[in-house]
Amino acid sequence: MGNPVITAEKVYKVYKLGEERLRALNGVSLSVGKGEFVAIVGTSGSGKSTLLNMLAGLDKPTKGAIVIGGQHIESMSEAELVKFRREHVGFIFQAYDLLPQLDAVENVALPLSFKGVSKRVRTKKAEQMLKQVGLEKYLKHRPNQMSGGQQQRVGIARALVVGPEIIFADEPTGNLDTKTTLEVLHILKDVVHNGGNTLIMVTHDNNLASFADRRIHIIDGEIVYED
Amino acid sequence: MRFSDKFGMAWSSLTKRKLRTFLTILGVMIGIASIVIMMGLGEGLKLQTMEMIEEYGGIRTVEVREGSGQNAGSNGGTAASGDATQYKLTDAALAEIEKIPHVESVYPVLEFQAEMEVGKYRYSIWGGKAMPLDVLKNMKWEFAGGAWPEEDDELQFVYGNLVLQDFQDSRGNNIYWNTGKLPDVDLMTARIYTIFDTESYYASKQKATDSGVTALTADGQMNNTAKPPTPPKKYQVPTAGVLAGDTGEYKEYSWGVYCDIEALKKMYKKAFKNKAIPGQPLRKNGKPYPELFYSSLMVIADDVANVETIQQEIGDMGYQTNSNSEWIRQTEQQSRSQQAMLGGIGAVSLLVAAIGIANTMMMSIYERTKEIGVMKVLGCGLFDIQQLFLVEAGLIGLFGGTAGLFVSVLICLIINKITGLATAMIPVWLYPVSIIFAVIVSMLAGYAPSKRAMSLSALDAIRSNG
Ligand SMILES: Nc1ncnc2c1ncn2[C@@H]1O[C@H](COP(=O)(O)OP(=O)(O)OP(=O)(O)O)[C@@H](O)[C@H]1O
Ligand SMILES: [Mg+2]
Repeated sequence: MGNPVITAEKVYKVYKLGEERLRALNGVSLSVGKGEFVAIVGTSGSGKSTLLNMLAGLDKPTKGAIVIGGQHIESMSEAELVKFRREHVGFIFQAYDLLPQLDAVENVALPLSFKGVSKRVRTKKAEQMLKQVGLEKYLKHRPNQMSGGQQQRVGIARALVVGPEIIFADEPTGNLDTKTTLEVLHILKDVVHNGGNTLIMVTHDNNLASFADRRIHIIDGEIVYED
Repeated sequence: MRFSDKFGMAWSSLTKRKLRTFLTILGVMIGIASIVIMMGLGEGLKLQTMEMIEEYGGIRTVEVREGSGQNAGSNGGTAASGDATQYKLTDAALAEIEKIPHVESVYPVLEFQAEMEVGKYRYSIWGGKAMPLDVLKNMKWEFAGGAWPEEDDELQFVYGNLVLQDFQDSRGNNIYWNTGKLPDVDLMTARIYTIFDTESYYASKQKATDSGVTALTADGQMNNTAKPPTPPKKYQVPTAGVLAGDTGEYKEYSWGVYCDIEALKKMYKKAFKNKAIPGQPLRKNGKPYPELFYSSLMVIADDVANVETIQQEIGDMGYQTNSNSEWIRQTEQQSRSQQAMLGGIGAVSLLVAAIGIANTMMMSIYERTKEIGVMKVLGCGLFDIQQLFLVEAGLIGLFGGTAGLFVSVLICLIINKITGLATAMIPVWLYPVSIIFAVIVSMLAGYAPSKRAMSLSALDAIRSNG
């Protein structure tokens, strides 16, 4: 498996709801190697999203350590986390979450603009990325002029454009029908494999999880088995 | 993130909600316009006041008149014995005042009286003023005909434009008021005989009409001799010029007769020899002084700010002083407080506009919570997010401020057109300042919302249904 890109060490997340304490994550440890496509599978409320958000540095664990590319992200400040995400992490949302006033190219180029890349360079890169996901005919389309599947492909291109070490996707096909879901997953898998990216995807669907190289099954905040 | 990108994003979010952006800009425009118009009105008011002060005889001038010594400070306290010329306006006094710091120049004014005979008409000069020729020339008065005399050798008179209205017939009736017509006299060409020794002149007239009745002579003594006093000599004084102005057009010089002071002094020597000059003080024994006293000295300060100290100092020397400084101060204070009040009215409307901006930005941030969250997840720097909103607010201020300035310039032009005066004057420095001010106020209004956008939790934001 080589050097792991990301490791989680006994990660706990406890939510306080009044007097009650809810252990959304109960000592999760995992490790994902470079170029791996890992699915986190579990029923609704099992803690998949919670785990993914911890791994992506969007939320802080109550206890435990998360290391990406040798850096501990659990102790980083908000500003440091933003910078870290900007440089090392890509993100694919369930609801695509494209910016409505921007066209496909601009949406894909957006993370590059946060890095200060010039408009010319980032537009070229974005167009290239959109070609890879098969949207060369939709470069100038706004989100509301595209189907859900097309929008999610834009979302995939946006996550990949910065060349992140690791990509997180929370139910990326959750809003798509079966046919489109399969299309999108194929593209996702191809692009990730071709680019040598690491992908961690959350899903509650075992069929979709089968696209992954490895599945981590989670129940009530604990990893029960991997396959 | 590059500034051009922030600018582009701010721009696209402004253009996305055109109506709301327009309304917010409108608010700023009204706020800025009202401040600028109010300041313009205030400035116009101030300028008009200054102009008025200028017309009222200069703002740097202190008028000095003969004093009683009452206000004299410790240095002026030496006994003012009967015939001393202390506190009287002599050449020595002039020289002394000239030495006071910040005094730019001093010139004497000699007011004179005379009687005139012009053909069948008579005219009494009451407000005659003799001043140094260069001072008169400096007044830059316009002439209807003629000009100031070139040299001060020969006495020549310059008449105000309304002097003819004061002409009387031989029985002493005012022609203009009785007939509504001006006497058919061209002052430029008429032979005008001037009598300086007016007291002898009156006395001789009196004697001539009712002989034998007690009359007052120049000596102020009762004179009851039967023989009428010889009438004084008449001098033909040439006319140097007549000042410009229509009948009924009043100017500061309209009723006056003017001449060079040196020429008048020479004439006085000729006309009076050792006799008392009317209007000049007498010794206790009733005899005239050998020298001529000025009616007033006009002291010009080098700066308006020094007028008051100079006035104080001259007052301490025992003279009577007069200047516009007190009045100017009051007027200035008044116009300042009026300006502040007008500015305050404008400030209130800008405050309302600022609240409008804050409100718009807040709404915009609520609407875009999801968007902001996504940008954060994708690695948009916290300060970049804050600056995005500040740039947006700044742009609103820029457009609102520019539009406001434009509108206020237009409105001021209209106001001035209607009133026909420079009622509203927008000072040039206010052009850039008002726009910069609008941008700053807008950014301040956008600061709290931008701070909020910056501190939004990315996680909460992407969870929310935007
Ligand atoms: N902010 C929160 N405060 C309190 N409890 C929370 C919070 N976020 C998540 N939880 C709880 O933690 C548990 C795990 O939630 P999580 O969102 O990770 O589930 P999930 O596996 O992603 O489910 P789904 O498939 O429905 O998205 C749930 O019981 C949930 O109620
Ligand atoms: Mg979930």
